[in-house]
Amino acid sequence: MDDPRATRLVETALRCYPARWRQRHGEEAAELAALLIRDGTPVGSVALSYLAGAAREWLTPRPGQRLSIVACALLAAACLTGVSAGLLASAAPARAASTSQARGRAHCLPGFPAPAPDVIPAVSHPQLITRGDGHGRSC
Amino acid sequence: MSRRDGRAGQDVLRRVGEASVLVLISLADGPKHGYALIQDIKELADVELGPGTLYGALDRLERLGLIESLPAEDRRHPYRITAPGAVALRVHLDSLERVSAAGRLRLQLGGI
Repeated sequence: MDDPRATRLVETALRCYPARWRQRHGEEAAELAALLIRDGTPVGSVALSYLAGAAREWLTPRPGQRLSIVACALLAAACLTGVSAGLLASAAPARAASTSQARGRAHCLPGFPAPAPDVIPAVSHPQLITRGDGHGRSC
Repeated sequence: MSRRDGRAGQDVLRRVGEASVLVLISLADGPKHGYALIQDIKELADVELGPGTLYGALDRLERLGLIESLPAEDRRHPYRITAPGAVALRVHLDSLERVSAAGRLRLQLGGI
């Protein structure tokens, strides 16, 4: 590969492979990339193919690799996803409720404008009045 | 999908993917290294195998004992089909032939 950018791109893609793969195929893979690029294959396509290959290489369990480790990792990932989804799902209604409560209580805050004339006056429930400009319910 | 005649177990190439089968077919007439394999597969099947896909297929076939790598020649490792690899390829091609014949017959019967 004469183009240093192409060389760098392919080398970066090849660095994504596990070390044992690089030891075995690294040099040959770089040479193959050079030959393909010389023949007119786009650099991006060569690098992308190596990147996809590297992802597959990491995800494929090897005979030496303990299957239980891979299974545990997948299970943990699934659990984390489930827990996050559960938290999000339970937080959404709670957040909605707290927002509506806050909206309902907003008029209790000092400086909140007086109720509109068509609203039942607070004096109709004198026993509950705590403040002159309140709504008659304790906030 | 299960096969009634019990031959499914013999066809080890059924689940290895198209790239691996093409690599095995390409190696059937003699050892080749990566670049030669890509060129040959392009010629015989009009499929441009990416280098990442090629190495994935080579590793898979080697793990299954269907091919073996020969000593490197100038940094390139030629690969050779093994005896079990040749048997597996023959079984797979026979199976493809049967399916292909059945498909053609059905097209004929359907008048399409």
